[in-house]
Amino acid sequence: MKTIKGTQSWLTIGLIIGVILLIAAAAIYFFNLNREEPVKWDVTLVGKNGNQKVLSYQEICKLPSTEAQGGFFTTVGVVNGPYEVKGVLLQDLCALVGGVTADDVVSISANDGYSMVFDYEQLTGDIPTYDPVTLHELPHEKQEVLLIYQQDGKSLSDSDGKPLRLSVVGSERLLTEGHNWVKWVNKIEVMSLE
Amino acid sequence: MNNWPGAGKLAMKTANKVLLVTLALAVTAAALATGSCSKPEKTKVRVLCANSLMYPLDSIEKAFEALHPDIDILTEGHGSIQVIRHVTEIHEESDLLIVADDSLIPMMMYATKIPDTDKNYADWYIKFAGNTLGIAYSEKSKYTGEINGNNWYQVLSRPDIKLGFADARLDACGYYALMSLALAELYYKDDSILENVLGPFDPPLKTGKEGTVATITVPEILRPASDKTIVRGSSIRLLALLDSGDIDYSFEYRSVAEQQGLKFIELPAEINLGSAALADYYGQVKCVMEFQRFATVLPVFTGEPIIYGVTIPANAPHADIALQYLEFLLGEEGQKIFVSSHHPMIPPAADNPSNLPPGLEKLLKSLGGG
Repeated sequence: MKTIKGTQSWLTIGLIIGVILLIAAAAIYFFNLNREEPVKWDVTLVGKNGNQKVLSYQEICKLPSTEAQGGFFTTVGVVNGPYEVKGVLLQDLCALVGGVTADDVVSISANDGYSMVFDYEQLTGDIPTYDPVTLHELPHEKQEVLLIYQQDGKSLSDSDGKPLRLSVVGSERLLTEGHNWVKWVNKIEVMSLE
Repeated sequence: MNNWPGAGKLAMKTANKVLLVTLALAVTAAALATGSCSKPEKTKVRVLCANSLMYPLDSIEKAFEALHPDIDILTEGHGSIQVIRHVTEIHEESDLLIVADDSLIPMMMYATKIPDTDKNYADWYIKFAGNTLGIAYSEKSKYTGEINGNNWYQVLSRPDIKLGFADARLDACGYYALMSLALAELYYKDDSILENVLGPFDPPLKTGKEGTVATITVPEILRPASDKTIVRGSSIRLLALLDSGDIDYSFEYRSVAEQQGLKFIELPAEINLGSAALADYYGQVKCVMEFQRFATVLPVFTGEPIIYGVTIPANAPHADIALQYLEFLLGEEGQKIFVSSHHPMIPPAADNPSNLPPGLEKLLKSLGGG
Protein backbone atom coordinates (compact mmCIF):
# COMPACT_ATOMS: atom_id res chain seq x y z
CA MET A 1 0.00 0.00 0.00
CA LYS A 2 2.81 2.34 0.91
CA THR A 3 4.64 1.50 -2.31
CA ILE A 4 1.55 2.16 -4.42
CA LYS A 5 1.00 5.47 -2.65
CA GLY A 6 4.66 6.35 -3.22
CA THR A 7 4.46 5.48 -6.94
CA GLN A 8 1.27 7.49 -7.28
CA SER A 9 2.91 10.50 -5.66
CA TRP A 10 5.96 10.29 -7.94
CA LEU A 11 3.74 9.95 -10.98
CA THR A 12 1.72 12.99 -9.95
CA ILE A 13 4.88 15.01 -9.29
CA GLY A 14 6.33 13.83 -12.63
CA LEU A 15 3.19 14.82 -14.45
CA ILE A 16 3.09 18.24 -12.81
CA ILE A 17 6.77 18.85 -13.62
CA GLY A 18 6.19 17.68 -17.21
CA VAL A 19 3.25 20.02 -17.67
CA ILE A 20 5.20 22.92 -16.17
CA LEU A 21 8.16 22.23 -18.46
CA LEU A 22 5.86 22.04 -21.48
CA ILE A 23 4.17 25.34 -20.59
CA ALA A 24 7.57 26.97 -20.01
CA ALA A 25 8.90 25.70 -23.34
CA ALA A 26 5.78 26.94 -25.14
CA ALA A 27 6.03 30.33 -23.43
CA ILE A 28 9.71 30.71 -24.40
CA TYR A 29 8.91 29.66 -27.97
CA PHE A 30 6.06 32.16 -28.36
CA PHE A 31 8.02 34.90 -26.64
CA ASN A 32 10.90 34.43 -29.08
CA LEU A 33 8.47 34.18 -31.98
CA ASN A 34 6.89 37.54 -31.18
CA ARG A 35 10.03 39.31 -30.04
CA GLU A 36 11.22 41.85 -32.57
CA GLU A 37 14.89 42.56 -33.06
CA PRO A 38 15.65 46.27 -32.86
CA VAL A 39 15.47 47.67 -36.40
CA LYS A 40 18.78 48.88 -37.83
CA TRP A 41 17.88 50.93 -40.88
CA ASP A 42 18.81 54.39 -42.14
CA VAL A 43 17.21 56.58 -44.77
CA THR A 44 19.34 59.18 -46.52
CA LEU A 45 17.54 62.39 -47.43
CA VAL A 46 19.14 64.52 -50.15
CA GLY A 47 17.99 68.06 -50.90
CA LYS A 48 18.25 69.61 -54.34
CA ASN A 49 21.18 71.77 -53.19
CA GLY A 50 23.03 68.61 -52.14
CA ASN A 51 22.10 68.85 -48.41
CA GLN A 52 22.16 65.43 -46.84
CA LYS A 53 20.56 64.15 -43.68
CA VAL A 54 20.52 60.57 -42.47
CA LEU A 55 17.59 59.48 -40.32
CA SER A 56 17.40 56.19 -38.48
CA TYR A 57 14.23 54.12 -38.48
CA GLN A 58 13.69 55.11 -34.84
CA GLU A 59 14.06 58.82 -35.66
CA ILE A 60 11.55 58.50 -38.50
CA CYS A 61 9.05 56.81 -36.18
CA LYS A 62 9.31 59.79 -33.80
CA LEU A 63 8.41 62.36 -36.50
CA PRO A 64 4.80 63.65 -36.67
CA SER A 65 2.81 60.83 -38.24
CA THR A 66 -0.25 60.47 -40.45
CA GLU A 67 -2.70 57.58 -40.51
CA ALA A 68 -4.67 56.78 -43.66
CA GLN A 69 -6.06 53.96 -45.78
CA GLY A 70 -5.19 52.58 -49.16
CA GLY A 71 -3.90 49.64 -51.13
CA PHE A 72 -2.46 48.73 -54.47
CA PHE A 73 -2.75 46.21 -57.25
CA THR A 74 -0.18 44.52 -59.45
CA THR A 75 -0.11 44.86 -63.22
CA VAL A 76 -2.14 41.67 -63.54
CA GLY A 77 -4.77 42.95 -61.12
CA VAL A 78 -3.83 41.16 -57.90
CA VAL A 79 -5.25 43.38 -55.15
CA ASN A 80 -3.31 44.06 -51.93
CA GLY A 81 -5.24 45.86 -49.20
CA PRO A 82 -6.70 48.36 -48.61
CA TYR A 83 -4.70 48.68 -45.38
CA GLU A 84 -4.71 51.03 -42.43
CA VAL A 85 -1.23 52.55 -42.55
CA LYS A 86 0.82 54.88 -40.42
CA GLY A 87 3.84 56.86 -41.49
CA VAL A 88 5.41 60.20 -42.31
CA LEU A 89 4.37 62.46 -45.19
CA LEU A 90 6.97 62.40 -47.95
CA GLN A 91 6.69 66.17 -48.19
CA ASP A 92 7.58 66.50 -44.48
CA LEU A 93 10.71 64.41 -45.04
CA CYS A 94 11.68 66.54 -48.05
CA ALA A 95 11.17 69.65 -45.88
CA LEU A 96 14.03 68.45 -43.65
CA VAL A 97 16.47 69.00 -46.55
CA GLY A 98 15.09 72.22 -48.01
CA GLY A 99 11.65 71.18 -49.27
CA VAL A 100 10.17 70.45 -52.68
CA THR A 101 8.59 72.84 -55.18
CA ALA A 102 6.43 72.49 -58.29
CA ASP A 103 9.57 72.40 -60.47
CA ASP A 104 11.12 69.48 -58.60
CA VAL A 105 10.83 65.72 -58.64
CA VAL A 106 11.45 63.34 -55.77
CA SER A 107 13.32 60.09 -56.40
CA ILE A 108 12.70 57.20 -54.02
CA SER A 109 15.31 54.43 -53.94
CA ALA A 110 15.32 51.03 -52.26
CA ASN A 111 18.11 48.76 -51.14
CA ASP A 112 17.23 46.19 -53.83
CA GLY A 113 18.16 48.66 -56.57
CA TYR A 114 14.58 49.68 -57.44
CA SER A 115 13.57 53.31 -57.67
CA MET A 116 10.55 55.40 -58.52
CA VAL A 117 10.18 59.09 -59.20
CA PHE A 118 7.30 61.43 -58.32
CA ASP A 119 6.60 64.90 -59.64
CA TYR A 120 5.08 67.58 -57.45
CA GLU A 121 1.54 66.91 -58.64
CA GLN A 122 1.83 63.23 -57.77
CA LEU A 123 3.40 64.11 -54.45
CA THR A 124 0.36 66.19 -53.62
CA GLY A 125 -2.05 63.43 -54.52
CA ASP A 126 -2.66 63.69 -58.27
CA ILE A 127 -2.40 59.94 -58.91
CA PRO A 128 -5.13 57.80 -60.53
CA THR A 129 -7.12 55.82 -57.96
CA TYR A 130 -9.14 52.66 -58.42
CA ASP A 131 -12.09 50.85 -56.88
CA PRO A 132 -10.79 47.91 -54.77
CA VAL A 133 -13.46 45.57 -56.16
CA THR A 134 -13.89 46.47 -59.84
CA LEU A 135 -10.44 48.07 -60.37
CA HIS A 136 -12.20 50.77 -62.35
CA GLU A 137 -10.81 54.27 -62.02
CA LEU A 138 -12.58 56.37 -59.41
CA PRO A 139 -12.12 60.05 -58.64
CA HIS A 140 -10.70 60.74 -55.19
CA GLU A 141 -10.57 63.55 -52.73
CA LYS A 142 -7.19 63.85 -51.07
CA GLN A 143 -4.43 61.31 -51.58
CA GLU A 144 -1.07 61.52 -49.88
CA VAL A 145 2.30 59.90 -50.32
CA LEU A 146 3.56 58.46 -47.04
CA LEU A 147 6.69 56.65 -45.93
CA ILE A 148 5.01 54.01 -43.77
CA TYR A 149 6.31 51.87 -40.93
CA GLN A 150 3.02 50.35 -39.81
CA GLN A 151 0.36 48.42 -41.69
CA ASP A 152 -2.86 47.28 -40.02
CA GLY A 153 -1.39 48.12 -36.63
CA LYS A 154 1.79 46.06 -37.05
CA SER A 155 5.34 46.71 -38.18
CA LEU A 156 5.88 45.82 -41.82
CA SER A 157 6.80 42.25 -42.68
CA ASP A 158 9.80 41.47 -44.91
CA SER A 159 7.58 40.82 -47.90
CA ASP A 160 5.74 44.11 -47.31
CA GLY A 161 8.98 46.10 -47.43
CA LYS A 162 10.24 45.97 -43.83
CA PRO A 163 10.94 48.37 -42.28
CA LEU A 164 9.92 51.33 -44.48
CA ARG A 165 7.75 51.42 -47.55
CA LEU A 166 6.21 54.14 -49.69
CA SER A 167 2.43 54.21 -49.98
CA VAL A 168 -0.23 56.30 -51.69
CA VAL A 169 -3.20 56.59 -49.36
CA GLY A 170 -6.18 58.70 -48.35
CA SER A 171 -9.41 58.44 -46.45
CA GLU A 172 -11.44 56.53 -49.05
CA ARG A 173 -9.74 53.11 -49.00
CA LEU A 174 -8.88 53.29 -52.72
CA LEU A 175 -6.15 51.51 -54.64
CA THR A 176 -3.29 52.85 -56.73
CA GLU A 177 -0.87 51.14 -59.12
CA GLY A 178 1.65 48.95 -57.32
CA HIS A 179 4.81 50.46 -58.82
CA ASN A 180 4.39 53.46 -56.50
CA TRP A 181 4.56 51.32 -53.35
CA VAL A 182 8.35 51.11 -53.18
CA LYS A 183 9.56 48.54 -50.60
CA TRP A 184 12.71 48.76 -48.45
CA VAL A 185 13.15 52.54 -48.96
CA ASN A 186 16.64 53.77 -48.07
CA LYS A 187 17.03 57.04 -49.99
CA ILE A 188 14.83 60.03 -50.81
CA GLU A 189 16.27 62.64 -53.12
CA VAL A 190 14.79 65.96 -54.25
CA MET A 191 15.94 66.92 -57.73
CA SER A 192 15.26 69.93 -59.89
CA LEU A 193 13.62 69.29 -63.26
CA GLU A 194 15.33 72.37 -64.69
CA MET B 1 -7.35 10.28 2.55
CA ASN B 2 -7.49 7.37 0.14
CA ASN B 3 -7.63 4.72 2.95
CA TRP B 4 -10.42 2.40 1.72
CA PRO B 5 -9.39 -0.97 0.28
CA GLY B 6 -8.45 -0.86 -3.38
CA ALA B 7 -8.10 2.92 -3.35
CA GLY B 8 -4.38 2.67 -4.21
CA LYS B 9 -5.08 0.39 -7.20
CA LEU B 10 -7.77 2.76 -8.44
CA ALA B 11 -5.48 5.74 -8.07
CA MET B 12 -2.80 3.86 -10.01
CA LYS B 13 -5.31 3.06 -12.77
CA THR B 14 -6.41 6.72 -12.88
CA ALA B 15 -2.81 7.91 -13.10
CA ASN B 16 -2.16 5.47 -15.92
CA LYS B 17 -5.24 6.70 -17.75
CA VAL B 18 -4.10 10.32 -17.37
CA LEU B 19 -0.71 9.34 -18.73
CA LEU B 20 -2.27 7.50 -21.64
CA VAL B 21 -4.59 10.40 -22.47
CA THR B 22 -1.66 12.84 -22.27
CA LEU B 23 0.42 10.62 -24.53
CA ALA B 24 -2.47 10.25 -26.99
CA LEU B 25 -2.95 14.02 -27.05
CA ALA B 26 0.76 14.58 -27.59
CA VAL B 27 0.87 12.06 -30.44
CA THR B 28 -2.24 13.63 -32.04
CA ALA B 29 -0.75 17.11 -31.72
CA ALA B 30 2.53 15.93 -33.22
CA ALA B 31 0.67 14.21 -36.03
CA LEU B 32 -1.34 17.35 -36.74
CA ALA B 33 1.78 19.50 -36.60
CA THR B 34 3.63 17.33 -39.10
CA GLY B 35 0.56 17.09 -41.28
CA SER B 36 0.61 13.29 -41.28
CA CYS B 37 -3.16 13.23 -40.77
CA SER B 38 -3.88 15.49 -43.77
CA LYS B 39 -3.76 14.74 -47.49
CA PRO B 40 -0.31 14.75 -49.07
CA GLU B 41 0.65 18.32 -50.09
CA LYS B 42 0.85 19.10 -53.80
CA THR B 43 4.25 20.13 -55.11
CA LYS B 44 4.12 23.88 -55.71
CA VAL B 45 5.90 24.99 -58.86
CA ARG B 46 6.34 28.74 -59.34
CA VAL B 47 6.20 30.17 -62.85
CA LEU B 48 7.02 33.88 -63.23
CA CYS B 49 5.92 35.32 -66.57
CA ALA B 50 5.46 38.52 -68.54
CA ASN B 51 2.03 40.07 -67.90
CA SER B 52 1.03 39.71 -71.56
CA LEU B 53 1.28 35.90 -71.23
CA MET B 54 -1.08 35.53 -68.28
CA TYR B 55 -4.05 34.70 -70.49
CA PRO B 56 -2.60 31.64 -72.30
CA LEU B 57 -0.55 30.53 -69.27
CA ASP B 58 -3.67 30.44 -67.14
CA SER B 59 -5.04 27.80 -69.52
CA ILE B 60 -1.67 26.00 -69.70
CA GLU B 61 -1.66 25.83 -65.89
CA LYS B 62 -5.11 24.21 -65.78
CA ALA B 63 -4.33 21.72 -68.55
CA PHE B 64 -0.97 20.73 -67.01
CA GLU B 65 -2.46 20.32 -63.53
CA ALA B 66 -5.20 18.11 -64.95
CA LEU B 67 -2.47 15.77 -66.20
CA HIS B 68 -0.48 16.03 -62.94
CA PRO B 69 -2.91 16.21 -60.01
CA ASP B 70 -0.02 16.15 -57.54
CA ILE B 71 1.41 19.42 -58.90
CA ASP B 72 0.19 22.95 -58.19
CA ILE B 73 1.46 25.44 -60.78
CA LEU B 74 1.58 28.99 -59.40
CA THR B 75 1.64 31.42 -62.32
CA GLU B 76 2.57 34.99 -61.46
CA GLY B 77 2.65 37.91 -63.92
CA HIS B 78 5.04 40.89 -63.79
CA GLY B 79 6.84 43.25 -66.12
CA SER B 80 9.60 41.27 -67.84
CA ILE B 81 12.51 42.94 -66.03
CA GLN B 82 10.78 42.32 -62.71
CA VAL B 83 10.26 38.65 -63.64
CA ILE B 84 14.04 38.18 -63.72
CA ARG B 85 14.80 40.53 -60.81
CA HIS B 86 12.59 38.46 -58.50
CA VAL B 87 15.19 35.71 -58.89
CA THR B 88 18.49 37.48 -59.48
CA GLU B 89 18.15 40.51 -57.20
CA ILE B 90 15.35 39.86 -54.70
CA HIS B 91 16.63 36.26 -54.42
CA GLU B 92 13.26 34.53 -54.50
CA GLU B 93 13.08 30.99 -55.88
CA SER B 94 11.26 30.27 -59.11
CA ASP B 95 11.06 27.22 -61.33
CA LEU B 96 10.49 28.86 -64.69
CA LEU B 97 10.92 32.39 -66.07
CA ILE B 98 9.15 33.61 -69.20
CA VAL B 99 9.76 37.15 -70.51
CA ALA B 100 8.42 39.30 -73.37
CA ASP B 101 11.89 40.48 -74.39
CA ASP B 102 14.19 37.49 -74.85
CA SER B 103 17.36 39.61 -74.77
CA LEU B 104 16.80 40.25 -71.05
CA ILE B 105 17.71 36.63 -70.15
CA PRO B 106 21.35 36.72 -71.35
CA MET B 107 21.70 40.33 -70.21
CA MET B 108 20.48 39.74 -66.65
CA MET B 109 21.17 36.02 -66.00
CA TYR B 110 24.10 34.71 -68.04
CA ALA B 111 26.73 36.65 -66.12
CA THR B 112 25.04 36.85 -62.73
CA LYS B 113 26.23 34.31 -60.16
CA ILE B 114 23.90 32.56 -57.73
CA PRO B 115 25.11 33.70 -54.28
CA ASP B 116 27.71 31.40 -52.66
CA THR B 117 28.15 29.37 -55.87
CA ASP B 118 30.15 29.69 -59.05
CA LYS B 119 27.07 29.02 -61.18
CA ASN B 120 25.26 31.64 -63.27
CA TYR B 121 21.47 31.91 -62.98
CA ALA B 122 21.08 30.65 -66.56
CA ASP B 123 23.18 29.67 -69.55
CA TRP B 124 20.46 28.86 -72.09
CA TYR B 125 16.98 29.99 -73.10
CA ILE B 126 14.40 29.21 -75.74
CA LYS B 127 12.67 31.72 -78.01
CA PHE B 128 9.16 30.40 -78.52
CA ALA B 129 6.52 33.11 -79.09
CA GLY B 130 6.10 36.47 -80.76
CA ASN B 131 3.61 39.32 -80.88
CA THR B 132 2.85 42.46 -82.85
CA LEU B 133 2.08 45.97 -81.70
CA GLY B 134 -0.94 47.83 -83.06
CA ILE B 135 -3.84 50.07 -82.16
CA ALA B 136 -6.68 48.79 -79.99
CA TYR B 137 -10.08 50.48 -79.96
CA SER B 138 -13.72 49.87 -79.10
CA GLU B 139 -17.17 50.43 -80.57
CA LYS B 140 -17.29 53.74 -78.67
CA SER B 141 -14.13 55.14 -80.27
CA LYS B 142 -14.33 58.08 -82.68
CA TYR B 143 -13.79 57.60 -86.43
CA THR B 144 -14.01 53.79 -86.28
CA GLY B 145 -15.53 53.70 -89.77
CA GLU B 146 -12.63 55.63 -91.17
CA ILE B 147 -9.43 54.42 -89.48
CA ASN B 148 -7.33 51.66 -91.09
CA GLY B 149 -3.76 50.36 -91.37
CA ASN B 150 -2.79 53.12 -93.81
CA ASN B 151 -4.27 56.28 -92.31
CA TRP B 152 -4.07 55.38 -88.59
CA TYR B 153 -1.45 58.02 -87.75
CA GLN B 154 -3.46 60.74 -89.49
CA VAL B 155 -6.63 59.83 -87.59
CA LEU B 156 -4.79 59.57 -84.27
CA SER B 157 -3.30 63.04 -84.89
CA ARG B 158 -6.73 64.70 -84.81
CA PRO B 159 -7.07 66.99 -81.79
CA ASP B 160 -10.40 65.51 -80.68
CA ILE B 161 -8.95 61.99 -80.39
CA LYS B 162 -8.05 60.76 -76.90
CA LEU B 163 -5.12 58.38 -76.95
CA GLY B 164 -4.00 56.01 -74.22
CA PHE B 165 -0.30 55.41 -73.82
CA ALA B 166 1.51 53.10 -71.37
CA ASP B 167 4.28 54.82 -69.43
CA ALA B 168 7.42 53.96 -71.40
CA ARG B 169 9.51 54.17 -68.23
CA LEU B 170 7.49 51.39 -66.60
CA ASP B 171 6.04 49.16 -69.33
CA ALA B 172 7.69 47.65 -72.41
CA CYS B 173 4.45 48.28 -74.34
CA GLY B 174 5.11 52.01 -73.80
CA TYR B 175 8.59 52.02 -75.30
CA TYR B 176 7.49 49.65 -78.07
CA ALA B 177 4.81 52.28 -78.92
CA LEU B 178 7.46 55.00 -79.12
CA MET B 179 9.59 52.76 -81.35
CA SER B 180 6.60 52.10 -83.61
CA LEU B 181 5.95 55.82 -83.97
CA ALA B 182 9.63 56.45 -84.79
CA LEU B 183 9.53 53.60 -87.33
CA ALA B 184 6.34 55.09 -88.77
CA GLU B 185 8.21 58.37 -89.33
CA LEU B 186 10.81 56.44 -91.37
CA TYR B 187 8.23 54.35 -93.21
CA TYR B 188 5.91 57.23 -94.16
CA LYS B 189 8.81 59.74 -94.47
CA ASP B 190 7.05 62.16 -92.13
CA ASP B 191 9.00 63.33 -89.08
CA SER B 192 6.01 64.94 -87.38
CA ILE B 193 4.11 61.70 -86.64
CA LEU B 194 5.37 61.12 -83.09
CA GLU B 195 4.57 64.64 -81.91
CA ASN B 196 1.25 64.85 -83.74
CA VAL B 197 -0.02 61.50 -82.45
CA LEU B 198 1.11 61.82 -78.83
CA GLY B 199 0.75 65.59 -78.40
CA PRO B 200 3.13 67.65 -76.27
CA PHE B 201 4.79 66.50 -73.04
CA ASP B 202 6.21 68.62 -70.23
CA PRO B 203 9.17 68.08 -69.98
CA PRO B 204 9.22 67.25 -73.72
CA LEU B 205 10.20 63.97 -75.34
CA LYS B 206 13.48 64.62 -77.13
CA THR B 207 14.13 63.17 -80.56
CA GLY B 208 17.43 63.06 -82.39
CA LYS B 209 19.88 60.91 -84.35
CA GLU B 210 22.86 58.84 -83.22
CA GLY B 211 24.56 58.11 -86.51
CA THR B 212 21.82 56.44 -88.55
CA VAL B 213 19.72 55.52 -85.52
CA ALA B 214 16.71 57.67 -84.59
CA THR B 215 16.59 58.18 -80.82
CA ILE B 216 13.75 59.15 -78.53
CA THR B 217 14.76 60.28 -75.06
CA VAL B 218 12.08 59.94 -72.40
CA PRO B 219 12.53 62.45 -69.56
CA GLU B 220 12.68 61.57 -65.86
CA ILE B 221 8.96 62.41 -65.61
CA LEU B 222 6.49 61.47 -68.37
CA ARG B 223 3.69 64.02 -68.15
CA PRO B 224 1.38 64.94 -71.07
CA ALA B 225 1.01 68.70 -71.51
CA SER B 226 -2.44 68.40 -73.08
CA ASP B 227 -5.51 66.29 -72.44
CA LYS B 228 -5.12 64.51 -75.79
CA THR B 229 -3.01 61.76 -74.27
CA ILE B 230 -3.64 59.80 -71.07
CA VAL B 231 -0.66 57.95 -69.56
CA ARG B 232 -1.06 54.96 -67.25
CA GLY B 233 1.55 52.74 -65.61
CA SER B 234 0.74 49.73 -67.79
CA SER B 235 -1.10 49.08 -71.05
CA ILE B 236 -3.52 46.74 -69.25
CA ARG B 237 -4.88 49.74 -67.28
CA LEU B 238 -5.83 51.40 -70.56
CA LEU B 239 -8.27 48.62 -71.49
CA ALA B 240 -10.86 49.77 -68.95
CA LEU B 241 -10.52 53.34 -70.25
CA LEU B 242 -11.22 52.09 -73.78
CA ASP B 243 -14.24 50.23 -72.48
CA SER B 244 -15.58 53.28 -70.64
CA GLY B 245 -14.95 55.59 -73.60
CA ASP B 246 -12.48 57.77 -71.69
CA ILE B 247 -9.99 57.12 -74.47
CA ASP B 248 -10.58 56.29 -78.13
CA TYR B 249 -7.44 54.35 -78.99
CA SER B 250 -4.38 52.87 -77.33
CA PHE B 251 -1.22 51.09 -78.36
CA GLU B 252 -1.50 47.42 -77.43
CA TYR B 253 -0.17 43.95 -78.19
CA ARG B 254 -2.35 42.18 -80.74
CA SER B 255 -2.71 39.14 -78.47
CA VAL B 256 -4.05 41.23 -75.56
CA ALA B 257 -6.48 43.20 -77.76
CA GLU B 258 -7.93 40.00 -79.21
CA GLN B 259 -8.11 38.25 -75.83
CA GLN B 260 -10.12 41.21 -74.53
CA GLY B 261 -12.45 41.25 -77.55
CA LEU B 262 -11.29 44.69 -78.68
CA LYS B 263 -11.02 45.88 -82.25
CA PHE B 264 -7.46 46.10 -83.53
CA ILE B 265 -5.64 47.88 -86.33
CA GLU B 266 -2.77 45.86 -87.70
CA LEU B 267 0.14 48.13 -88.57
CA PRO B 268 2.54 47.49 -91.48
CA ALA B 269 5.23 44.91 -90.67
CA GLU B 270 7.89 47.65 -90.87
CA ILE B 271 6.21 49.33 -87.88
CA ASN B 272 4.61 46.57 -85.78
CA LEU B 273 7.83 44.98 -84.40
CA GLY B 274 6.45 41.54 -85.25
CA SER B 275 8.74 40.30 -88.03
CA ALA B 276 12.02 38.53 -87.25
CA ALA B 277 13.07 39.17 -90.86
CA LEU B 278 12.96 42.93 -90.22
CA ALA B 279 15.23 42.90 -87.16
CA ASP B 280 17.81 45.16 -88.84
CA TYR B 281 15.12 47.58 -89.98
CA TYR B 282 13.72 47.85 -86.44
CA GLY B 283 17.26 48.49 -85.20
CA GLN B 284 17.09 51.94 -86.78
CA VAL B 285 15.29 53.28 -83.69
CA LYS B 286 16.23 53.48 -80.04
CA CYS B 287 14.55 54.61 -76.79
CA VAL B 288 16.59 56.08 -73.97
CA MET B 289 15.03 56.62 -70.52
CA GLU B 290 16.46 59.36 -68.35
CA PHE B 291 14.79 57.63 -65.39
CA GLN B 292 16.69 54.50 -64.38
CA ARG B 293 14.15 52.35 -62.56
CA PHE B 294 16.49 49.45 -61.83
CA ALA B 295 20.07 50.01 -60.72
CA THR B 296 21.29 47.01 -62.74
CA VAL B 297 19.41 47.66 -66.00
CA LEU B 298 20.56 50.47 -68.25
CA PRO B 299 17.29 51.73 -69.73
CA VAL B 300 18.35 51.95 -73.38
CA PHE B 301 16.22 49.86 -75.72
CA THR B 302 17.02 49.35 -79.40
CA GLY B 303 14.24 48.37 -81.78
CA GLU B 304 13.96 44.63 -82.37
CA PRO B 305 11.25 42.06 -83.01
CA ILE B 306 9.08 41.18 -80.00
CA ILE B 307 10.21 37.68 -79.02
CA TYR B 308 9.28 35.81 -75.85
CA GLY B 309 11.97 33.75 -74.13
CA VAL B 310 11.81 31.04 -71.46
CA THR B 311 14.42 29.50 -69.18
CA ILE B 312 14.70 27.39 -66.03
CA PRO B 313 16.90 29.16 -63.46
CA ALA B 314 19.91 27.10 -62.37
CA ASN B 315 18.66 27.23 -58.77
CA ALA B 316 15.06 26.21 -59.56
CA PRO B 317 13.79 24.05 -56.66
CA HIS B 318 11.77 21.81 -59.02
CA ALA B 319 13.80 21.85 -62.21
CA ASP B 320 12.54 18.40 -63.24
CA ILE B 321 8.87 19.46 -63.08
CA ALA B 322 9.72 22.81 -64.74
CA LEU B 323 11.18 20.78 -67.61
CA GLN B 324 8.00 18.71 -67.92
CA TYR B 325 5.95 21.94 -67.92
CA LEU B 326 8.19 23.46 -70.58
CA GLU B 327 7.86 20.37 -72.77
CA PHE B 328 4.08 20.63 -72.37
CA LEU B 329 4.11 24.35 -73.18
CA LEU B 330 6.17 23.87 -76.35
CA GLY B 331 4.39 20.67 -77.38
CA GLU B 332 1.19 20.08 -79.30
CA GLU B 333 -1.19 20.78 -76.41
CA GLY B 334 0.58 24.03 -75.47
CA GLN B 335 0.55 25.20 -79.08
CA LYS B 336 -3.19 24.58 -79.32
CA ILE B 337 -3.76 26.66 -76.19
CA PHE B 338 -1.65 29.52 -77.53
CA VAL B 339 -3.55 29.49 -80.84
CA SER B 340 -6.92 29.57 -79.06
CA SER B 341 -5.55 32.40 -76.87
CA HIS B 342 -4.67 34.47 -79.98
CA HIS B 343 -1.00 34.45 -79.03
CA PRO B 344 1.35 33.61 -81.92
CA MET B 345 4.07 31.02 -81.33
CA ILE B 346 7.24 30.77 -83.40
CA PRO B 347 9.31 27.64 -84.12
CA PRO B 348 11.27 27.27 -80.88
CA ALA B 349 14.95 28.12 -81.08
CA ALA B 350 17.54 27.76 -78.35
CA ASP B 351 20.24 30.20 -77.38
CA ASN B 352 23.29 28.12 -76.35
CA PRO B 353 21.67 24.79 -77.42
CA SER B 354 24.61 22.79 -76.05
CA ASN B 355 23.58 23.87 -72.54
CA LEU B 356 19.94 22.74 -72.87
CA PRO B 357 18.70 20.21 -70.31
CA PRO B 358 18.74 16.63 -71.66
CA GLY B 359 15.72 15.87 -73.81
CA LEU B 360 14.86 19.46 -74.63
CA GLU B 361 17.17 19.69 -77.66
CA LYS B 362 15.52 16.60 -79.15
CA LEU B 363 12.08 18.07 -78.52
CA LEU B 364 13.04 21.34 -80.23
CA LYS B 365 14.23 19.44 -83.32
CA SER B 366 11.02 17.43 -83.41
CA LEU B 367 9.08 20.73 -83.31
CA GLY B 368 10.98 22.11 -86.27
CA GLY B 369 13.14 24.44 -84.22
CA GLY B 370 16.70 24.13 -83.06
